[in-house]
Amino acid sequence: MSSVAADLTQVRAAAELLGFALARRARPVEGGQYRALLDRYRSELGFKDVVDTMAEGLGLEVLGVPRSGMVLAPEPGGAFATRLADLRTTMDADDRLVFGLVLIGVAAFAYPTDADFDDPETRLVEIVRVDEFIRGSLDALGGLGGVEGSPEERARAAAQVYADLPQLITTQTGRRARGCTLKAVEEVFGWLVEQGAAREAGTLGPDTFHLTDRFRLLVADSAGGAALDALRDVRSAEVASS
Amino acid sequence: MTGAYGGVISPAADASARDRWRALALTDPVSRLVRNAAHAGIDDADYDLRLLALAAVDVVVGSMGFAREATLDDVVDELTGLASRMCPGRPDQARDAAQTVVRGLLNDAHDQRRFSYRFADLGAPGETVRWESYSFRLLSLREAEYGPVVVASDQAVTLFLNGLDVDLEDADRALAHVLQRQLDDRRFDAAARTAAQAERTSVGMSATLAELLDATRRDVGSHDWEQEVPERLVRARRHVEARIGEDDRLLEHVQSGLDAETSPEVRAVSGRIVDLIGRARRVHLDLERRLVGAREVFLTAQVRQRLARRRRLRMLALRDEVLVPVLALPRPVAVAVTTAFADRALGVSVPRLVRFDDMVDMLWAPPRARESAEPDVEIVPDVDEAHDVQRYPEPVVGAAREVLSAVTGGEEIRLSALLDAVPDAASVDAEIDEGEVAELVLLSALWAFAPDVVAEAEGDVAGEIDVLAGGIEARRDDRLLARSGVGGPDLLVRLRGGRVVEAADPLDDESEPVA
Repeated sequence: MSSVAADLTQVRAAAELLGFALARRARPVEGGQYRALLDRYRSELGFKDVVDTMAEGLGLEVLGVPRSGMVLAPEPGGAFATRLADLRTTMDADDRLVFGLVLIGVAAFAYPTDADFDDPETRLVEIVRVDEFIRGSLDALGGLGGVEGSPEERARAAAQVYADLPQLITTQTGRRARGCTLKAVEEVFGWLVEQGAAREAGTLGPDTFHLTDRFRLLVADSAGGAALDALRDVRSAEVASS
Repeated sequence: MTGAYGGVISPAADASARDRWRALALTDPVSRLVRNAAHAGIDDADYDLRLLALAAVDVVVGSMGFAREATLDDVVDELTGLASRMCPGRPDQARDAAQTVVRGLLNDAHDQRRFSYRFADLGAPGETVRWESYSFRLLSLREAEYGPVVVASDQAVTLFLNGLDVDLEDADRALAHVLQRQLDDRRFDAAARTAAQAERTSVGMSATLAELLDATRRDVGSHDWEQEVPERLVRARRHVEARIGEDDRLLEHVQSGLDAETSPEVRAVSGRIVDLIGRARRVHLDLERRLVGAREVFLTAQVRQRLARRRRLRMLALRDEVLVPVLALPRPVAVAVTTAFADRALGVSVPRLVRFDDMVDMLWAPPRARESAEPDVEIVPDVDEAHDVQRYPEPVVGAAREVLSAVTGGEEIRLSALLDAVPDAASVDAEIDEGEVAELVLLSALWAFAPDVVAEAEGDVAGEIDVLAGGIEARRDDRLLARSGVGGPDLLVRLRGGRVVEAADPLDDESEPVA
């Protein structure tokens, strides 16, 4: 951060920009105030410092400023951090394991290598493909070591739960019912859409989603972990052989 | 560069082999998508998929660089239209055909990665072959502020718009082609016309606004500032915002046409448009300045001309004025109303954001383990219930029960009569304190007269009273109870649900018995 004191108009503009970034529906359209502030953030170092500092004070971090808008990540435990209570409240321990596994699965599926994080192209993913990919990677997760309670052990447990679930159960109306992995993947995508990390791509068929820049930046920000690394290895091999 | 054939065929062929090979490779994805379409149930005989592929690139190129580029939906819709003309008999399949083509061009079969081909560089005769990988995209998706847009790669633009014998990697050239194509499509003319039209609109809006503001300065009531003028201002502001954005984008796009190597024709048109946009921009900005100050003019005029009135938040009948009307609204409008209402009613709500690792950690948090296997049990010393100082001794309770049992005959008995019977009941045992028995009988009767329902529900009632008073009820008598330490009307005690001997007068003395 620069040591120069920021003037108040700059602080106001910075707050406005963070306000836009927090409002999930705001889009930096041409000619709009959001767009102007984003451009200013990209081009003016002093302003960027003010915004970053203000975000830090609020318990936020600016992960990036793609064309679709500023992407923020919360500090854990901060006012903006998602809590378990914000997810579906009826989730039991197994549901949470599966949710986490699918989240990692989608990340590994879409971005198998670090180079993928620099590629601004949005990825199209399909529910069935993700499910198949995760199913095909369960052995790799089952081989992870780790003591009770370690992330590796949790990954093994998640893989076990996933393997035990059927791929598809349908309701009487023919939709996917809870308790199958396709529904679990569908729910994760629903949540990603809510988070602005994915969008439905109905024009290319049902169950198809775009992963947005927000998701790319979120995954790029991740320090990784044994489970993510294992799945990315599987996916890299899959991509290389295709 | 070593010639691809190592000079074995002809120097001319050798020189351009690599470029021509690349051009050839670039068309392969289209061939491939045509081959694969059969798997998707699309019959090559029904649809000209190659033409659809060309059309997809054309649609994309037509809008690249403009303020609004073609979204995925635009492209698929456009192709669906073309496809349904190719096979009018199968309108249901047209969309599938369009999707197949777009997916093919995006290389969806390989997760939209680059198309990759290997070129055999033969080198000089006798050298080992060097395999060179050549990868490219045709179409790709980018996220724009209004959704995913489709962009064409330089290779796609160059090849599909301008034939095969060109330098495919020349981005400037690709841009020149894009501009030329747009010029041919008369898109520049259209853009220039729109810009000129917008300029005239801005001039008109500026003039009306100036008039309106003057009138407001004279008389704040001359225009409807509650509804009409704000709407007008919003319209004007939207117009300016849209135009300034659009013009900037167009200006940038056209300016690049002046910088790149383009045809004289493109340069001339570009120059004209740059001038036009520059002029229009000044008009728009002028209008914007007036708009920014407009509200201030009204407020000043209002303060000067009228006393500012305080607006009070009206009380709402939630059911009739909020809930019922909202239920009758269409969903989008209802969402707006409900959101506004909930925001005011529930206060600030913080948007929740995620961080990937924290999210996974939270989801995968190990179940909470008990810290120590055996929790320390607090040892409570045994209590001798018989010697609880708070309780009445058992013989006292027995005596009181006997006194109260007089009501089991079904008759109503006066509390005074019950109290009279206490000495007899207490006399059976020398240990029994007559005063305690009398107290217990009195309290039981009072409890029966006015039970503490809440305490009863919570189990917070002394055991004896509960037991003794549980089966009886009492009502006020018109006589007075004359006992030492006890005042108020006498009570008529009977078995709960028992016979009422005489009707109570509701207009009786309201005072209650007081112990």
